Amino acid sequence: MFEHLISIMIFVPIIAGLVTFVLPLSREAARIVGLAVSVVVVLLGLKLFLSFSGASGSFEFVEYAPINESLGIAYSLGVDGISILVLSAAALLFPMVYLLFQTKAKGYYANLLIVQGAMIGAVAATDMVLFYVFWEVMLLPVFFMIGLYGGPNRLPATIKITIYTIAGSLLMLASIIYLGISYHAQSGEWSFAMTNFSEMSLTGSTATLAFVGFMIAFAIKIPLFPFHTWLPDAYTEAPTATTFVLSAVMAKIGVYGVIRFVVPVFDESFARYALILACSGVIGMMYCGIAALAQKDFKRMLAFSSASHMGIIALGIFCMNIQALTGTLYQIVAHATSTGVLFLLLGIIEERTESRNIDDFGGLAAKAPVFAFFFAVAMLASVGLPGTSGFIGEFLIILGAVKFNPIIAVFAGTTLIIGVCYMLWLFQRVFFEKPSSKLADFSDLSAIEILTILPIVILIVVMGIYPQPFIAKIEPSAERQMAVIQKVQQIADNRIEPLKPGQELKTGDL
Amino acid sequence: MHDFMAILPLVATGAGAILVMLAAAFESFKKEGISILGIGLFAFAFFVQLTVESGAPITPYGSVFNGMLVTSTFTKGAGLIILACGFFSAIASQTYFTQNEGFVLEYYCMMLFAACGMLLMTMAAELITVFIALEIMSLAIYTLIASDRRSVLRSEAVLKYLMLGAFAGAFFVMGSVFIYAGAKSTKFADIGQVVAETGFLTNPALVGGSLLILVAFLFKAAAFPFHAWVVDVYDGAPVPVTGFMATAVKTAVFAVFANFLVINGQLQEGWVNYLFYISVLTMFVGNLIAIGQNSLKRMLAASGIVHTGYLIIALVAVNSEGFTGSTIIFYLAAYAASTLGIFAALSYLGGEGEKRNSFEDFNGLAKVRPYSAACIAIFLLSMAGIPPTAGFMGKFYIIAGAFQGGYISLGVLGIFSSILSMWYYLRLIIAMYFREPEEDFEVAEMTLAPLGTFVLALSVFAISFIPVVI
Repeated sequence: MFEHLISIMIFVPIIAGLVTFVLPLSREAARIVGLAVSVVVVLLGLKLFLSFSGASGSFEFVEYAPINESLGIAYSLGVDGISILVLSAAALLFPMVYLLFQTKAKGYYANLLIVQGAMIGAVAATDMVLFYVFWEVMLLPVFFMIGLYGGPNRLPATIKITIYTIAGSLLMLASIIYLGISYHAQSGEWSFAMTNFSEMSLTGSTATLAFVGFMIAFAIKIPLFPFHTWLPDAYTEAPTATTFVLSAVMAKIGVYGVIRFVVPVFDESFARYALILACSGVIGMMYCGIAALAQKDFKRMLAFSSASHMGIIALGIFCMNIQALTGTLYQIVAHATSTGVLFLLLGIIEERTESRNIDDFGGLAAKAPVFAFFFAVAMLASVGLPGTSGFIGEFLIILGAVKFNPIIAVFAGTTLIIGVCYMLWLFQRVFFEKPSSKLADFSDLSAIEILTILPIVILIVVMGIYPQPFIAKIEPSAERQMAVIQKVQQIADNRIEPLKPGQELKTGDL
Repeated sequence: MHDFMAILPLVATGAGAILVMLAAAFESFKKEGISILGIGLFAFAFFVQLTVESGAPITPYGSVFNGMLVTSTFTKGAGLIILACGFFSAIASQTYFTQNEGFVLEYYCMMLFAACGMLLMTMAAELITVFIALEIMSLAIYTLIASDRRSVLRSEAVLKYLMLGAFAGAFFVMGSVFIYAGAKSTKFADIGQVVAETGFLTNPALVGGSLLILVAFLFKAAAFPFHAWVVDVYDGAPVPVTGFMATAVKTAVFAVFANFLVINGQLQEGWVNYLFYISVLTMFVGNLIAIGQNSLKRMLAASGIVHTGYLIIALVAVNSEGFTGSTIIFYLAAYAASTLGIFAALSYLGGEGEKRNSFEDFNGLAKVRPYSAACIAIFLLSMAGIPPTAGFMGKFYIIAGAFQGGYISLGVLGIFSSILSMWYYLRLIIAMYFREPEEDFEVAEMTLAPLGTFVLALSVFAISFIPVVI
């Protein structure tokens, strides 16, 4: 059974989701199906995480079955140190949604199931065409979740996110096909396997265009400045559980895509444009951070805050050194847990008070001390207080940034202070100050809610105090990746010439 | 004997058509009986085509009937698609005419005759045969469009199509004459030989003749700049006939087009620049027309123009060496399944007298008829090229073929065109799912068309697994 562990983790939720769609279940039954499946996935995910050794730095739990042999397209899956933490985040966080939000429609739970399966598939796929398929399938449930169950202005937000993402994905599709053709031209064989692509050497203007195609697709998903404009609307209008999925997991898959696909394949183009990309990451951080300061809507503020933090996670890749890369991989999970918990707690407030206006709140800490405590832990992790998970990752990234370019590091570090400003100010306005009448009958978290969130809060603290078990899993793979990075670095410093010219294809007559 | 085996499907459809005609002469045969007969005959012809042995991948000079016809896996695939289109259109028609006026007993007879002409067209390897096939097909289609001759809308549509189609036919004959003057033969293989020996541009008769033939093909395939008739004619035809035209006619035309180009490798090289621009313009003009439409039939007609553009990409990248045509067949199959599916769904959801036809009429369909809406959404996603549907794999193969042939800019423009086309495909999905229903979508009691829609929705996924060689 366990040799097909990842496949089971992908297809059990997807099939359960489709069955839920088709069968005339009640919403409560749909929720229980969703909860049961997500708990199964959690158990399988734990099994995967614990039996994953990570020592070799290569793929484990490999599955392979050809789909189209003449073109070398295969159903191939695998996990290594780069994907293990993203995969765990996608596997572990979902039961909370079913436990905390009990009043959604049947179709909503079905969509949640499908999106989880697709996300696990996208992270585990080692064939580019397979990755693309999961990547697109991931979008459809989001489209329906926002469009059907979102806030009052959901339609423009849905169209915005859909057009943005599809445009990006189709450009990536062109780039994937280009890579396949180039591999065929260089080696004489057809393949779309990631490992084969990373052995190719690509130079020339067409390769740069393919790099841009990939980068735009991932930049939209992360989102990286200037492709972030869909984010505030989509995050705000989406139902909170969807916002949670988008920010905690889906955005991370964008970052993961850059590390997994862009850096090894387009090493030269990446090195050449790393500085520009790093700048865009820093600009996005500052811009979204300042925008977060000015928000009156609780959810919109968290949306901007999340975007700002994604900027620093992305920056970690563009710095091109081992510290920053490890920091990014670590921060992916740290941010998923902390932002995830923040959005979930916000969802609880929203459900109980039917308001998201920060001015409506005040004095919550006295009313609901447990709630306030959980919020405080997640918030402190989000701003990177030492002793929480957020500190390790952000520290490593800033350390790497100093090595990469001190000016960028200075700006990035300054922006972290903005993050502290808006978060603490938010905390003060919502939890202290004079009690608001809106919160008159706000009761503290119930036992189930406490038990749901507590494991994640414990995880935040454990990851902050004792990061070693996690780092040990990711380090060998990160070091393998560093071999690539060193090459990139050398190309960037012009110490070695690029190996041989890549496959240039004649362009059409336009 | 082999020659006869090759045309068995032709015989089956032709004889079937005559059988239906004879049956229609008896008053006792009612609408239901004749519908079942028509559907059954299409199914029978499909199995005949399926069992017929076909030659190896296309052999330019291998021939049947002394070089008049050519059979290969390519023609067999095209034949299967055409007969499947006929089958599902017949199913849709049965349901359509339970709630619409204008049924004549010869309806299925004309459908079978049209399919017969199309099958002949896919196999034709000689210009006069192509012309005969073209006319058999076109005359039957004209009749199908105007089967309800009291309707002004139908008459207008058929008049437009007939006038322009007659022009296209005349162009084709003129082109054949020129080519005969230049190459002393009407066989594709002989023309190819002459072109290879003396060159394409040195012979004015060949240049002029092939240009006229190109015009005729582009007209029938609804490519820019001969696309203007499509929207009005498709809009005026009965829904199942529109579906049949949009899929089967396109398959037949592209099959003969590809055969013609592959056998005349030099001709393809001479045309490739024009085809390049034609495909780009076809895609973008089709998109612009489709974005402006408010009627579903007109939108689907315009999106058919866009798909013609993608298919021309495949023709641009056609390689005479080792041509299998599987990319084209795959795309046609994927496109046919999703287009027929939508038209089958429209046949029963359209209601009496096709009263539901605009985007607004389908507001909130998902809340009233969730399964129909889900099927339509699958068809739309397939047409838009979203995985894991067949439409995605079709686009993947077409673009991979274009890149492989070195036409990177063409592939990328195809991608941009897909992004544009999301606009109108998503618009229908948004209308169906995100808007509130204004009515309860009551339709007459029926079984066949919904069943056909469901089967097509499944096949949209199943087609993805057909292996393809680029």
